[in-house]
Amino acid sequence: MGKEIPAEKSLNLIRGRLCDPSFIFRPLSASSDSNYSKLKFIVSTSITEGCNNSILLLGPRGSGKAAVLDLVVGDLLEQFPDSVSVIRLNGLLHSDDNCAFKEIARQLCMEHHLLFSKMASFDENSHFIIAMLRECGLAHKTIIFVLDEFDMFAQGKQRLLYSLLDAMQSVTSQAVVIGISSRLDADQLLEKRVRSRFSHRKILFLPPSRDELDGLLEHLLSLPADSSFPSGYVSRFNDKIKNITSDRRFKDILKTFFNAHSTVNSFLKFIFCAVSLMNLESGLLSLENFKAALSSMQRQPKLEAVRDCSVLELYLLVCMRRLEVKEQSSYNFISVMKEYKAIHDSFQTSDYYAQNVCIRGFEHLRERQVICYAENRGQSQTGEYRPMKLLISASELHQGMRSHACCPAILLKLLDH
Amino acid sequence: MPAIAGPSSSPQKHVVGSRSESIGGVRSAEVNTSRKRKLRSDSAAEVSATVVLPVNSISTPMKWKSPRRCAVSIPKTSDEEIKEDSNEKLENPVISVCLEVKSKWNPKDDEQMKAVKEALHVSKAPSTVVCREDEQRRVFEFVKGCMEQKKAGSLYICGCPGTGKSLSMEKVRLQAEEWAKQAGLHCPETVSVNCTSLTKSTDIFSKILGNYESGKKANGSFSPLQQLQRLFSQKQQQSRSKMMLIIADEMDYLITRDRGVLHELFMLTTLPFSRCILIGVANAIDLADRFLPKLKSLNCKPLVVTFRAYSKDQILRILQERLVALPFVAFQSNALEICARKVSAASGDMRKALCVCRSALEILEIEVRGSIDQEPKGPVPECQVVKMDHMIAALSKTFKSPIVDTIQSLPQHQQIIVCSAAKAFRGSKKDRTIAELNKLYLEICKSSMITPAGITEFSNMCTVLNDQGILKLSHARDDKLKRVSLRVDEADITFALKEIRFFRNCLL
Repeated sequence: MGKEIPAEKSLNLIRGRLCDPSFIFRPLSASSDSNYSKLKFIVSTSITEGCNNSILLLGPRGSGKAAVLDLVVGDLLEQFPDSVSVIRLNGLLHSDDNCAFKEIARQLCMEHHLLFSKMASFDENSHFIIAMLRECGLAHKTIIFVLDEFDMFAQGKQRLLYSLLDAMQSVTSQAVVIGISSRLDADQLLEKRVRSRFSHRKILFLPPSRDELDGLLEHLLSLPADSSFPSGYVSRFNDKIKNITSDRRFKDILKTFFNAHSTVNSFLKFIFCAVSLMNLESGLLSLENFKAALSSMQRQPKLEAVRDCSVLELYLLVCMRRLEVKEQSSYNFISVMKEYKAIHDSFQTSDYYAQNVCIRGFEHLRERQVICYAENRGQSQTGEYRPMKLLISASELHQGMRSHACCPAILLKLLDH
Repeated sequence: MPAIAGPSSSPQKHVVGSRSESIGGVRSAEVNTSRKRKLRSDSAAEVSATVVLPVNSISTPMKWKSPRRCAVSIPKTSDEEIKEDSNEKLENPVISVCLEVKSKWNPKDDEQMKAVKEALHVSKAPSTVVCREDEQRRVFEFVKGCMEQKKAGSLYICGCPGTGKSLSMEKVRLQAEEWAKQAGLHCPETVSVNCTSLTKSTDIFSKILGNYESGKKANGSFSPLQQLQRLFSQKQQQSRSKMMLIIADEMDYLITRDRGVLHELFMLTTLPFSRCILIGVANAIDLADRFLPKLKSLNCKPLVVTFRAYSKDQILRILQERLVALPFVAFQSNALEICARKVSAASGDMRKALCVCRSALEILEIEVRGSIDQEPKGPVPECQVVKMDHMIAALSKTFKSPIVDTIQSLPQHQQIIVCSAAKAFRGSKKDRTIAELNKLYLEICKSSMITPAGITEFSNMCTVLNDQGILKLSHARDDKLKRVSLRVDEADITFALKEIRFFRNCLL
C-alpha cells in the first residue's frame, strides 16, 4: 500500500474521533457545572472521606450517561490507584438475584485474584460478598457498584437492591452504588424500603445547548496542525469547515435536525453520515454532504415505496383514496375495480388493464405494506372480497406521486378531486 | 449529655436539661424579637450581645453590634445560634459550664467537613436514641418481663421505613444483655435475622436451631422446624435454661402463600416449654391481624408496638442531637428547621432528612471550593455555615422530579407528541393506538404550519418517550396497533410547557 492520500487519512481520523466517547465527552465536561464534575465530586468525596453514597444517573438513551461515568471512573482509577475497585452489573443480564450475586462474587474474585467456584450457592455468595465488603472497608478500599439499566433491577422482589443499599447503611462497608437508567421515574419504581435507603441524588442528563454543540462540532471536525498532513491541506480543510458552519443554510439544516433529535448520540450519527459522504477527490467537506446525511436520517419508507410503484399500482392507490373520500368506509378489490373502470370511462386513459393484472398489482402493494387487509378474521373469503385499507396517508401519497419518475398528470388531478 | 430542647415557637419550652432556671424568666420577652432579627439577617455581623449575668460574664469583642440587650441563646438551638466574626473562642455566658464551647467552623478545612459529614451519615448510629424512648421502654419492659418469668412471648413492631425500628432493636438487645448481667440471670442468646437474606423462608428455622444447638450435630431425619418443636415441648434441663431473643427483620419476606412459616414461627412461642422471645419487625401495621388469625384464636396474639413516623419536632431534635457533639456550628438553625418541616410533611423518614442535610453540606462545599479555585474577587464572606438557601436548594433537588426539566428540554416534535397525548387522554379514555395519536399529532402540526414527521419517525419518537417513562407503549404485532397511555400527570406537562405560547394555546 502506497502513501495514503490525505483525504483518506483525514476521514479515518475524524471517524475514529466520532467513535471514541472519551474524546467527545471531555470538552463537554470541561465546565465546572457539568454532570461530569458533579459526579466526580460526589464519588471522590465518598472515596476520600470513606462515606457511602448512592446516585442515579437519568437521561434519554444516547445522552452520554455511561460515557461520562466511564470518564469519571477512569480518572478516579488514575487518581487513587489502589483504593478503588469497580463492579459492573447490567439489568438486562443480571436482574435475577441469584445471577446478580454470582456475578458480583465472580468480579470480586477477579479483582482480588481469588479463585471463584461456579458451584457456590446463593448463601455462600452473599456471605462472601458481605465479608469482602467488610474487608475492603477495613482496608479503606472503596467498591463502586455500577448498575446499568437500573429500572430492570427494580422488577420482582428487589432483593439485590435491598441488600446492596442496606450494606451501605452499615459503618463497616465502604461502597458507592451508581445506577444508570433511561426511565425518569426510576426511583418511583423502587419499593418503599429500598427507596428509603437510597439517598436521593439524581443527576439528570439533559441535551447539550446549541453553543456546546457548535463547540463540539468544531472540536470534532478541525484537523490538527500535524506534520503527517500536508500543511496547505489542513488550513484549507479547516477553512472550509468554518465556511460551512457559518452558512445560514447549514444552520437551517441543523435546526431541522434538532427539531426531531436532541441527544448527543443522534448528533454524532448525523455527523458520521455526513463525513462518510466526503468527496475523496477534493478531500474537503461540503454543504451537500450534510444535506444528504439529513435526508438519509429522515427516511420515509412509505414514501419510497410509493415512488417505486408502477403506474398501474398508482392508479389502484388513487382509486382507493377516492373511495375513502367518498365516505365509503370499507372497500374491497371488486369495488376498487369498479372505480378504476369508472375513471377509465370518464377520462379515456390509456392505462386500462385486465383484472388478473390488477390482482398482481394488488399483491405487490400488499407485500410492500402500502395496503393491507382491514381485518384478519375473514380468512374464509377469497382475497378479492376481503375489505382492505390504505396504510399511507393522503399527504404521503401525494408527495410520493409528485416525486415519482413518470406519474401521469391525470392521476394528480384525480387525487385532488 | 443533656438532651437539647426541642425546637419551639412556643415560649414554654425554654428551659430544659441543665440550663439554669434563672435564665428562663429573662428570656421570654426579648427572645422572640431577637430570634426574628437573626432569622432575617443573613450576615454574620449581627449577633446579639451577651447578657451580663453574674455566672460567667465575659467581655465580648467590640465588633458585636447589639442594639439592645437580649439573651444570647435562643431557646431552640441554644449555643448553636452564635455566629462570630472573630476566630476567638467565645464562652457562652448564659449556658452553664457543662455545655461545650462552640467555635467557628471553617468549611475549607477537610477534617472539619469530614467530621460533620460523618455525624450526619445514616450508618453512624448515635449513642443515645432520642425520640424513641417510649417505644424502646415498652419493648424493653416486655423483654424484661419474659426473662424474669422465664416465659416465651412474641412482639410485633411495625412502622414506615426510616423510623428507627432496627436501631431501637439493637439498643434493646444491648439493654437486655446489660440488665441480665446486673440481675444475675443468664445472658440471653440473640439471633438477629434479616429475612431478605434467606433463600427459602424455612431457612429461618435452621438459623434459630443452629444458634440453639451450637455444637450438637443436626439430626438428619427431622426438619429444623420439627426439631425446634420437639425441643420446646420437652422440659429443659436447668443448664440449658437460657432465653433466646429472636429478632426477625423485614418479616414480610416470610409471608408465603399458605402463611405457614409465619404461623409456625409465632406458634413456637406458644409451646409449653418454649424459651424464645420473638420480635418481628415489618412495615405493615396490620400484619398481625391479617396473617396470624390462628394465634388470635389461641389467645396469644403478639403485642404490637407501632413506630409512628417522625414529626417535625422529633426530626429537628434528632438532627440537633447529632450535631451537638461537634465542637463547631455547621448549620443555621432555621435551615435545620425547614428541612425537618419538609421531610416530616412528606414522609417522616429520618434517612431522608439526613440525606438532605448532607446534600446541603455538599452544596456549601462546592460553593466554598468554587471560591477557592477562582481568584477572590471581593471580600469573601467569612463565616460560612449552611444557610437557608443551601437547604432549600438541597430540598428541591431531593424532592423534585426530573420530569418537568426533561419535558422542557425535549426536541420540538417530541414536545408536540407529549402535548397531543395530554389532550387525547383528557377525558375518560385511558389508552389509544399509535395511529390515533398520530392523527392528533398531524392536526396540531397542520394548525401551526410545521411539517410533521412521517409515521416511522413518529413511532420511533414514541418509543424514545416510552423509554424515558413519559408514555407507556404496549406490545403489539403491528407498529400502528400498539396502545399508548400517558404516565405523566397532565398538570406537570402544562407546567413544563407554560413558557411557550404555542403549547399553552394548544393545551387550552
